[in-house]
Amino acid sequence: MRIGVFVCQCGTNIAGTVDTEAVARKALEYADVVYATSYVYTCSEPGQQEIQRRIKEMDLQGVVVAACSPRMHEPTFRRAVERAGLNRYMFEMANIREHVSWISTDKEANTRKAMELVHMAVAKLRFNQPLFSSKVPINKRVLIIGAGVAGIQAALDCSDGGLDVVLVEKNPSIGGKMAQLDKTFPTIDCSSCILGPKMVDTAQKENITLYACSEVESVAGYVGNFKVQIRKKATYVDWNACTGCGECVQKCPSRKAPDTFNENLSNARAINIPFPQAIPKKATINRDYCLHFTRGKCGVCKKICPVRAIDYDMQDEIVTEEVGAIIVATGYDLFDHSVYGEYGGGRYPDVISGLQYERILSASGPFGGHIKRPSDGSEPKDIVFIACVGSRDASVGRPYCSGICCMYIAKQAILTKDHLPDSNCYVFYMDIRSPGKNYDEFVRRAQEEYGVQYIRGRVGKVYPRGDRLVVQGADTLLGIQVEVEADLVVLATGVEASSGAAELAEKLRISYDQYGFYMESHPKLRPVETNTAGVYLAGACQGPKDIPASVAQGSAAAAKIQALFARDVIETDPQVALVNERTCVGCLKCIMVCPFGAIQSKTLRDGSIKAEVLASVCQGCGLCNATCPPKAIQLQHATDNQILAELNTLCA
Amino acid sequence: MEASATTRLHQEVEASIGRLSTVLGWGAGYDPLHMTPLFVRSPEDIARLVWNPLCVQNLTGYLVKSPGVQPPEEGKKIGICVRGCDSRSLVALIQEKLISRENLYIIGIPCRGTVDIRRLMNESGLSNIRSVRIEKDLLIVDDANGAHNLPLERFLARRCLRCRHPNPVIHDVLLDEPVTPRTTAEDAYRDVESLEAQSLDQRRAFWSVELDRCLRCYACRNACPLCICQNRCIAETRDPRWLTQRVNLPEKFLYHFIHALHLAGRCTECGECERVCPMEIPVTLIKEKLNQITRDLLHYEAGLDPEAVPPLLTFNPAEAGI
Repeated sequence: MRIGVFVCQCGTNIAGTVDTEAVARKALEYADVVYATSYVYTCSEPGQQEIQRRIKEMDLQGVVVAACSPRMHEPTFRRAVERAGLNRYMFEMANIREHVSWISTDKEANTRKAMELVHMAVAKLRFNQPLFSSKVPINKRVLIIGAGVAGIQAALDCSDGGLDVVLVEKNPSIGGKMAQLDKTFPTIDCSSCILGPKMVDTAQKENITLYACSEVESVAGYVGNFKVQIRKKATYVDWNACTGCGECVQKCPSRKAPDTFNENLSNARAINIPFPQAIPKKATINRDYCLHFTRGKCGVCKKICPVRAIDYDMQDEIVTEEVGAIIVATGYDLFDHSVYGEYGGGRYPDVISGLQYERILSASGPFGGHIKRPSDGSEPKDIVFIACVGSRDASVGRPYCSGICCMYIAKQAILTKDHLPDSNCYVFYMDIRSPGKNYDEFVRRAQEEYGVQYIRGRVGKVYPRGDRLVVQGADTLLGIQVEVEADLVVLATGVEASSGAAELAEKLRISYDQYGFYMESHPKLRPVETNTAGVYLAGACQGPKDIPASVAQGSAAAAKIQALFARDVIETDPQVALVNERTCVGCLKCIMVCPFGAIQSKTLRDGSIKAEVLASVCQGCGLCNATCPPKAIQLQHATDNQILAELNTLCA
Repeated sequence: MEASATTRLHQEVEASIGRLSTVLGWGAGYDPLHMTPLFVRSPEDIARLVWNPLCVQNLTGYLVKSPGVQPPEEGKKIGICVRGCDSRSLVALIQEKLISRENLYIIGIPCRGTVDIRRLMNESGLSNIRSVRIEKDLLIVDDANGAHNLPLERFLARRCLRCRHPNPVIHDVLLDEPVTPRTTAEDAYRDVESLEAQSLDQRRAFWSVELDRCLRCYACRNACPLCICQNRCIAETRDPRWLTQRVNLPEKFLYHFIHALHLAGRCTECGECERVCPMEIPVTLIKEKLNQITRDLLHYEAGLDPEAVPPLLTFNPAEAGI
């Protein structure tokens, strides 16, 4: 093989701490290397042209570029060698920037390491084979998991683009957390008034199939051709028949079921429609509280339902949908503030979460929009807001900023003053994070126009005194301890990953961070993609986000899918496992370990059993190769011989 | 008691041979010290079956490796005699779907241990051994000079001294009353532990001396019932080229560690690799170490539950211990 080596200086990024000229000179000593040079910016247009010129001039059959991480520019250089007539897999990259020049200033050691990395890349390249991708058709349907505002926006945008959308929501109604909010910052417009029309649109679009009260059971396949099983949870009400008239809810004798939509500030019936604007507006039976299920008698709803929709024998149902791309928009959960013993650990009824206060403020909430204390229903006069509850606090495992709390307490304080002009609002805060458009002005308005008292400092303790609460904290600006007597304490509870996020990630084969938020492909340049092709992210499942950002990401994910679906076929990655039938002993351990179900067994004409890889399902993880005892199954472009060549070079 | 066990074995096989296409057992070999695998295909061969402490071979490999037993005839099964250790190999093979439980008729033999024949041959004062049997803690050896009562512990194979499962873990029929295990689970890895108590240099020296004797004859691999690659073994292939045929210590090391790693979480510690080694290298120790890790990290013991999935033969992100 005739190999050319191009050592990039990356300006001074590499050349500053690596003698790139020496690396290039040394490369000429390696077997099969016929040309080596050092270049200032190899990824630039002239740099790529230089590679192409040398391929033709020197009759090169393989190219090594020693530069940055292959995650950065491997596709760039693969395209470059392809333009010069080489197969794109006759190219290797040695990472001498992230792995060398950026991590040490010892030029001599760096140069030595760069030489070794280049030598390894050359050694591997000598075993490379041209690989070719195949083309498979794209199924132009989209699965969207989660129908909060991000998922709804993505669904509507995909639908407007003419795509078939399958929208899966685990709750009985779409709308997510935004449906629970009263007003939205910084414009104080009514949350359900701006979300409601979108929810109605979602229900009315003919190309959106909505599965509410459903969860994704399993995901198989790959970009362009996913097969998804969806579990439709038993609601014990035939939703095809149910008209949402609500008669069953009114007559249901079981009145102690938790009202999760109202954050458990009130009780719901055992058969319930979560809120008046619910989409779909259908009743659901809570089995744990229904007298038919708990005591075996009742049946009131069944008797009075005018359309005979009640079905106590209903079972979960699994439906299969085939889609080409998936948007994950599973949102967030609220931090459980009961871990803070100093704030009462959830024992004081008048110490409530931010979302509970949101429900209290809402006209459709438990108190009809009148601000009352949950304990005795009296109107509070002094209200204290405590910021950063479950945010920026490593001691509870939540060192990150939830991003939305500063804004929502400012909003809630303003609304409180609107509702109760004579009330006093206090906000204990660490810092104010208000970097959005018109956000800081909004907080200033709360402070200056509405007279909300902002106290910079952490609250040490909340304890009851009579029927009121005492909030003890520090005012770090004045350097004094302060004590505020309050009727109601609102905790600015932070954002955490939605429960079950990790399990869903495993099904989708996407990665998540230590807090359970899904990992984007690149924090700056690929914020919507995941590292699994065909799976995209929208909204707070990727990290705490407010409504505008969630909506923007929902639209962005939809745009990504429109781009993906603009093609009719998709090229498969040839870097997958391949079985050498001559050495396969048919033990089929590869099938047992394959996480993707990409391997099956087949029987040859002589009766012998062999493994067979479904190239379009294989993700190239290499578990089968590691497991195969005779190493009959090899990962293309990372074969044992290629890796051994690198190791032998390094250890020689 | 072995004599009665042999009689019972004959009775059992006579009763069941009509339903079996072959019965794998042991028979007399070329001298009274050596028993050999015996494939019984017709009733007249039943009398040749024996069971005594010299029946040292694990026969389960013949179910999956060539030259082995033919697949059973329609409607029939394969009979196989197993000791406790062999039964665990069967379980492992069943788990890996290399054999099917339905095709087997398992004749279980509670085992009080097998003899390390090389040690017995080296014992001075014995000549022309005629028979060997175990009675309580004694090994009774009949030779030209009459009966010798020898301490059993001295002549048991190492694998038998550390045996936790002398009674077959699966069987269709059990030939004898269950026997008490010689070792508890806690003591099972004392050989590994005493080796590990040495310094790194001492251990390196130990293995250098031991493994340098290796001839790469592959007897250990060939005797292992779970090493089923046979002529496709990567110790001998050039593609991929993990090993060369060069005779040096690193290549020998690499061979033995590949062998052991291929058995990680699978090895049932039947000890065949060590028994057949012509150079008497304690190669099972390497597998014992891996099994100890498997036990401590993954809480798994190979070859006990046919329904269990060996920990390295699955992909489970929620795996405990990782």
